[in-house]
Amino acid sequence: MIRVRNLVKSYGGTRVVDGVGFEVAEGEVFGLLGPNGAGKTTTMEMMEGLRKPDRGEVCLFGVDGIRKPAKLKEIIGIQLQSTALFDHLSTEESILLYGSFYKKMRPPAELLRSFDLEEKRRTLVKHLSGGQRQRLAIALAVVHDPRVIFLDEPTTGLDPKARRALWEIILHLKEEGRTLFLSTHYMEEAEQLCDRVAIMDSGRVIALDTPARLIRQLASDSVIEFAAERGVSDAHFRELEGVKEVKRTDGGWMLLLTDNLRGTLSGLIPLADREGLVLNGLRTRSATLEDVFLERTGKRLTEQ
Amino acid sequence: MKAYWRLTWAQLLLFARNKNTIIWSLFLPIFMMLALGTFLGEGGTNQFQMSVAVADEDQTPRSRAVFEELSNTEGLQVAETSRAQGLSRLKKGDAQILVVLKAGLGKQLETSGQKGKKEKPLVALYLDKSNPAVSQVGSTVIREAVDKLNKEAVDYRPLVKTEEIDIQSRPLGYIDFLVPGILSLMIMSSNLNGVAATIASWRERGILRRMQGTPLKSSTFIAGQITARVILNGLQAVAVLFVGYFVFGVHVYGSWLLLIMFILLGTLTFMSIGFIIASLSRTPESAAPIAGLISFPMIFVGGIFFPVRDLPGILQPLVKAIPIGYLTDALRKVMNEGATLIQLWVPAAVLGAWVVVAFTTAALTFRWDVR
Repeated sequence: MIRVRNLVKSYGGTRVVDGVGFEVAEGEVFGLLGPNGAGKTTTMEMMEGLRKPDRGEVCLFGVDGIRKPAKLKEIIGIQLQSTALFDHLSTEESILLYGSFYKKMRPPAELLRSFDLEEKRRTLVKHLSGGQRQRLAIALAVVHDPRVIFLDEPTTGLDPKARRALWEIILHLKEEGRTLFLSTHYMEEAEQLCDRVAIMDSGRVIALDTPARLIRQLASDSVIEFAAERGVSDAHFRELEGVKEVKRTDGGWMLLLTDNLRGTLSGLIPLADREGLVLNGLRTRSATLEDVFLERTGKRLTEQ
Repeated sequence: MKAYWRLTWAQLLLFARNKNTIIWSLFLPIFMMLALGTFLGEGGTNQFQMSVAVADEDQTPRSRAVFEELSNTEGLQVAETSRAQGLSRLKKGDAQILVVLKAGLGKQLETSGQKGKKEKPLVALYLDKSNPAVSQVGSTVIREAVDKLNKEAVDYRPLVKTEEIDIQSRPLGYIDFLVPGILSLMIMSSNLNGVAATIASWRERGILRRMQGTPLKSSTFIAGQITARVILNGLQAVAVLFVGYFVFGVHVYGSWLLLIMFILLGTLTFMSIGFIIASLSRTPESAAPIAGLISFPMIFVGGIFFPVRDLPGILQPLVKAIPIGYLTDALRKVMNEGATLIQLWVPAAVLGAWVVVAFTTAALTFRWDVR
């Protein structure tokens, strides 16, 4: 079990992590979701023994992560970014090198097989595709058979196909009974992979629950989006049937959160006719973790 | 231990697969040596040719003997002239060195056995310092010739006679001066510039932080780096000495063990400085230029292409403080003169002190991550 309590870290007077705390059960996939600069990476690095917190406690499977970083590092596996690899070493050489840092090491052949890198055994890292590099980065994280694996934005920069392939691998690691701790700014990823999610903003955890329950807690279950136009007051939209909330994003979008999609839509079209609205880019979708974030912070996770 | 060997091996693989390492650390020094050696050594011969004008103002059998001695010295083209004529030839560049044997030389040599007599300098050397390397080597050759005469005159019996004869028979050429200089330059640039740029870029890319996330100790990491670089420098040195020997006939007259010891001291010193630069530079982009800014002037004040003593006096204290001059000097003395550790205790001590101070600073300032 992982226990984090009241973590605080400041840089130059700014609190990057401001009293973060949570518990993660063994075998759980736990996600930190938040925009860039929310404090996800700093939180993870303090849990990995890479940074000393100003205050707070980190305990992983009975090991005090702050006072015993050397012991901690034997039981955790980390993945940073695909760029943190040696370009001029081959896949197999990288595995042998990282394996040599630990007391125990899984057989390289087995790792290459389970990460679908057998054919790339002798290929230099610089010649691997983005997806292959990221698979290697995760293979290196589990080279010593760790109980806990930290993945920092594992699918950032990958195309949809490579991303899905990586999700398969992460779910497989969960099946092996490992505890996974990952950060992401893709809500879809958090919904697909994580048993529980902590949503972070400005160094604080602002919500923590299963993805389904977080979405259910929203007053509305659907979202209508269109390009915002000037000259119409939000009050017009609030009067539509089912609308619970009206938001304008920094990116120039109007969002209507509703619990009655059909009712709201049938009121929106006559309203648009009356007011002369174009409704550019109109679309509807189910509420997601993104909307949870929006509701709690008034901001979007990623600007579209 | 397993990690140490793996890291060393991985670093050697990285060296072998990186074109820049091969070009900068191997081809460049050899090319530089071939170009300079061929150009300044006159058509690739290992014979060092220098025209010497001799003005014999004494005209005694003794001064004639000096003249004969110089004429018989390998690499010297000796022509007799007057002092005035010789000076004008020197100024025109027709002669590189003018030796004046002043009147009274013969007499002084005859009476050398008598005590309490003050000896005036009776041999004057006029050097063309615009060609410092040649003039330095030339003056050494002539001093040796005169010295031999001195020793004969006082019936001097050297204790280690064979060694004495060895020195006399060695053909001293600019290439002999150059090869240890190239070795020294190679050790400095390969380590100082190489380490600073590599470590800074690994830190920037998160490679170091990734390793920090494992139980690997920083001392093991640094030890692997040192071992790999010592092996690389050893191979480079062998390649340079190999070309030097087979192309130019440059010998290592001293102890190989001592030569290796100085190569090791140089490697450790400049690696440590490279680590310090990598740690102190704010961005990886600035690490390489800072290293270049430090190493480039060292080429000139380090006695690599011409002797340190030809530098302006204002630079002398600086030259005495930095490690490159000591390394070059020590390598040169081991290779050219067969100097022993006892004779070289000053450079050994200075380089040793540099290793201790620089390595300690490097270890204290080392950090895995970007600040």
